[in-house]
Amino acid sequence: MSKIRYTLKKEFLLIIRDIHAVTVLFVMPAVFIMIMSLAMRDLFELHNTVHIDVLTVNRDEGKESKVFLKAIEELRTFKFHLLDKDIATEKVKEQMHSRDFKFALVIEENFSASVGKKGGGADQKPLELLVDPSVNVQTQLVLKSALDGKLAKQKADAFIDSIGGFLDSAGIDRKKLQEAEESRIKVSYVHKGGRYVKFPSAVQQSVPAWLVFSMFFIVIPISNTFISERGQGTLMRLKSMNVSQFSLILGKMVPYLLINAIQVVIMIAIGVHVVPLFGGTALTLGVSLAGLILIAATVSFNAISLALLIASVARTTEQATTIGGVLNIIFGALGGIMVPKFVMPGFMQDLANLSPMSWGLEGFLDIFLRSGGVSDVLPESLALFIFGAIMLTLTVVLLRRQREVQ
Amino acid sequence: MVIKDSYRDGLSSNGAPLIEIKHLCKSYNGKSVLDNVNLSVTRGSILGLLGPNGAGKTTLISILTGVIGKDSGNITVNGLDPDRELGRIQSIGSYVPQTLAFYPRLSACENLEYFGSLWGLKGKKLKERMEFCIDVGSMQSFANKRVDKFSGGMKRRLNLAIGLLNEPEILYLDEPTVGVDAQSRNYILETIRKINRERKTTIIYTSHYMDEIEQVSDDIAVIDHGKIILHDGKQAILTRTEAVFISVGQMGEAAVKELQHLEGIEVEKEGVHVTRDGRFSEKMAAVFTVFQDHGVWVKNVVFGHGTLEELFLKLTNRRLRDED
Repeated sequence: MSKIRYTLKKEFLLIIRDIHAVTVLFVMPAVFIMIMSLAMRDLFELHNTVHIDVLTVNRDEGKESKVFLKAIEELRTFKFHLLDKDIATEKVKEQMHSRDFKFALVIEENFSASVGKKGGGADQKPLELLVDPSVNVQTQLVLKSALDGKLAKQKADAFIDSIGGFLDSAGIDRKKLQEAEESRIKVSYVHKGGRYVKFPSAVQQSVPAWLVFSMFFIVIPISNTFISERGQGTLMRLKSMNVSQFSLILGKMVPYLLINAIQVVIMIAIGVHVVPLFGGTALTLGVSLAGLILIAATVSFNAISLALLIASVARTTEQATTIGGVLNIIFGALGGIMVPKFVMPGFMQDLANLSPMSWGLEGFLDIFLRSGGVSDVLPESLALFIFGAIMLTLTVVLLRRQREVQ
Repeated sequence: MVIKDSYRDGLSSNGAPLIEIKHLCKSYNGKSVLDNVNLSVTRGSILGLLGPNGAGKTTLISILTGVIGKDSGNITVNGLDPDRELGRIQSIGSYVPQTLAFYPRLSACENLEYFGSLWGLKGKKLKERMEFCIDVGSMQSFANKRVDKFSGGMKRRLNLAIGLLNEPEILYLDEPTVGVDAQSRNYILETIRKINRERKTTIIYTSHYMDEIEQVSDDIAVIDHGKIILHDGKQAILTRTEAVFISVGQMGEAAVKELQHLEGIEVEKEGVHVTRDGRFSEKMAAVFTVFQDHGVWVKNVVFGHGTLEELFLKLTNRRLRDED
């Protein structure tokens, strides 16, 4: 017990006194979580509290344009900021830049007339949408689809009203016909095990993503300590003290498992308590503590094994930091840490499955988003454990070989 | 040059050897590093192990401390076979590497505490040993400061102190005074002598500094190209003579020519070397006859090598070894 206690104490002191390690393991992910949770809030929370602001010029005198704007605003996704109806389109463009609006909608004078017109007319565009080129295509489509849909609905309603007399005489219920024109699509969120969870939010993507990323950055302190021990002869001294290779590896595993566990607790606490202070939504934790512990432990085991392998391959700390850093960034980019997997094209999503960070992230998302439990994270945990065990075996083989050629 | 067994008569003690090495061989990637090494270390003695860079000193110590394995040969340490009882052998020894083998971001106390715990020390016993080591290293005033703030001498003293935590019977010191000032060096050497004297600790001491080896060792072994080329008691080595050097005043050409015709005589500008063998007296008489015939003035006759460094360079060749 005494050996384990003092080994833990030593490793903790080494990390606490290493400003670079503390920055990489605790400060970096905390900052990333804050930035990403707040910056990506709009992307993840369109359905809820966030609006897309649209500068609007309504040149139409009729009532149809007002009904149209009201119908769109009821979607609770768009907020119209009305300008003077006589303002020139060029001035609208200037205001877009000066007031940092990404969209402007111009409702032409013929809007009400065009709605009432049977079948409309392709040559008369009642709406003009001005778009900042920096806006992604998906967001443009969201607004354009909403405008198209509401315009089509309004035209259909006007048409039904115009043939109201005929419908009444034919005994057809006009109201039912108009309701039938509403969206026929029912949207449901699918959760593992059929359990209900809250809507996904930016914080629920950011916390697990940057947590997994930072857990893999354990490579920096591990390789620093390990390579220093080797270079300074401490490893030789330890071996001469009858400290077995198993003990040496365990002496690295246990402290860093605990350090990873502290990372998990701190990053979750930031997601739950700190992000909301800055206007983001709070992280929700799912329902399975056992599942959370399992996925966190296997991510940690995998990350430590990778770090030990890199430390045993590299000759200098600079080499280890470079190899580890580059590998982590590639794993992160590939594994859906930097760019969420769901926005990747199909082949990239397949490639993402090659990254152990992706397995870890999926495991955490199972817990946080899909209300998963132990059985849900078991496949990812098993993959992480097996890959970690392979790397650890390679490390042991390499260390034995190095010991013989010292 | 391989020293014959008869030279071993001068070893420091007649006690039973604590370490006995027979026909030890070790090679890396087909290159022989230790080649049929035979060596014994007397219990309670200090053996100075000398050798140029890459001679095999660290490899020999690494095998003795169980850090690496041997290819062939036999070793016994305190009667124990390392192939079967390495743990017991390691528990009675302690290795102080030539590098500063500790954690610079920890304090001296934290380092001692950690390494002490690995020796199985705990509680009161651990504290006692830590206090002893702090005292031996004269580190009382900075024991709680981070080691990366220490001077070179302070670090070396800590390196040695860590090696004393387990009260070792055998202490392996691999160049323990590299890069320290004269005061720290003197302190370390005195400490080593004191440990040996008071605790009867057997010490194997490697160094590049001949004066240190002369100062602390009872016995000296010289290793080169993986072979032990000299092993004897210090006094015996410093006084042993393979040749006698007769230093002279000016020698004429005729005298030089006559001397060069004599067997077993090496002529230099300032004198002649006469090899000590069965015909030594005969050769000496012939040399002095030549000197007398040609009026050569004899300034001095030197027996032995004078200094250990002189002997070492003669044995190991003066060529730089880092070019090997």
